[in-house]
Amino acid sequence: MIIAGTMCWMVNLWSFNCQSQDSKLDVGFRMNKAIGLYLESGFSANYSHHNLFNDRLYFGASYFSSRLGSAMGSNAIKQDNYVVFTSWYFRETKKYRPFLRVNAGYFNSDYESEIFKDLDNSSGIFSFEAGYSRKFLTPLKWAISAGYNLSAGDGTNGSGTLYPIYLQSTLSWNIIAKR
Amino acid sequence: MKKSAFFLLIMIVAGCGNPDIQPGMLDGDQIFDPSLNDPSQFLLSVNKPNPNASEAATPVLIMSHGYTATTFEWQEFKDWANINYPTDFFTSQILLGGHGSSYEEFKESSWEDWKVAITDEYETLVEAGYTRISFVGSSTSCALILELIEAGYFSNTLPPENIFFVDPIVLPSSKILSIVGLIGPMLGYIEADNTTEEDQYWYHFRPEKTLRELNKLLRIVRKDLQNGITLPEGTRLKVFKSLKDPTADPVSAVLLYKGIRTSGGELIEVEMIESDLHVYTRLNLRTDVSAKDQANQNSTFQEIATRLGQ
Repeated sequence: MIIAGTMCWMVNLWSFNCQSQDSKLDVGFRMNKAIGLYLESGFSANYSHHNLFNDRLYFGASYFSSRLGSAMGSNAIKQDNYVVFTSWYFRETKKYRPFLRVNAGYFNSDYESEIFKDLDNSSGIFSFEAGYSRKFLTPLKWAISAGYNLSAGDGTNGSGTLYPIYLQSTLSWNIIAKR
Repeated sequence: MKKSAFFLLIMIVAGCGNPDIQPGMLDGDQIFDPSLNDPSQFLLSVNKPNPNASEAATPVLIMSHGYTATTFEWQEFKDWANINYPTDFFTSQILLGGHGSSYEEFKESSWEDWKVAITDEYETLVEAGYTRISFVGSSTSCALILELIEAGYFSNTLPPENIFFVDPIVLPSSKILSIVGLIGPMLGYIEADNTTEEDQYWYHFRPEKTLRELNKLLRIVRKDLQNGITLPEGTRLKVFKSLKDPTADPVSAVLLYKGIRTSGGELIEVEMIESDLHVYTRLNLRTDVSAKDQANQNSTFQEIATRLGQ
């Protein structure tokens, strides 16, 4: 009983701190699965300033690549995604928080041969996402979302391995959380 | 609007109800691929089932068309070869399983059904004694031939001498094909933008079920390529791919180049063609054929014929 009570008190204290009016910088690991093509993974950072729609408006950046996914030990094309994004998180005090996100960035793939020098291998990225973020009683956060990329290749323009529909999952840690 | 989103919208709208099949369409019950009525004009195995020694040693080219197409897709090569190389090699035009007949028959076919026509003709020719057999495939046939290689089909039989791929599809240009399984219930079919004349040789309506089959085949082949495919010993492969292609994404050529090795571990040959046509070797019934298109076709036909003789 005493141990359980102590744990509850510690958890509540931590939870209170996590929901305080502090800026947040969530840094973590991102996995991206294009529906019908590659699994990619990389890194992501997501920042909210306490004076600017604290914990609701976030700005972030991600890098993810098939080099850390489908292209590891296989013949899949090596491709890199560099993305900046802004997100709006709803239900500020809740554990499960829906969010909307707009991404922009740059995509590049490596065809590894001069034969393909005339093929498009890079493209801008412009995509929308909707998903859920799950808060824990620690600075840990898990977000999953589905996105639609407007700049996917279509055989006549754009990179052929940039697919329109994707799922992403990010596991992050608030590195400026006060304890 | 972005093409893929537009395509999705068209698919959903177009898929409602039954297809409006007109009498002049291959989809109906009045027009059939001519090889169904007179196979001897198309299949070497029917035309020359008992070759003499000289004929058996003559190169044979099995010509295999793409998804929704018919033997028409390779008719131009056959006509060209009859004029330019009348005695140097034989041709055999196959009709993929499930194709060339009615919409309903096509709708019920699977990708495994499609490839049976390839193996049937190959086995019959080998049994008849032909010793120098090659393939030319366009679009989906390339995926079918690759799947046969990966499945070890040629391990216990005579390997093909040459394989030529023209605008092979591994990744579709319309990426929405990858979610056809998810949106399937909303779809019945999609419509192709064929001309009236082309509607006699290509299905106008593409059943959603066959699109799922195509997607299934492409997923298998893409995985195979990721893991690596090795050609049978003695088999050469050359890929010809349009730089822009509204049907088979040109990056398909990259996946083939990275994913296939000869039996000696060497890279395969790939040539990117300055064209924006899908299956650029078929120019009949196309509008606005340019001199460049003609030159591309002639150059590829010539190269195939030359390699068959080597």
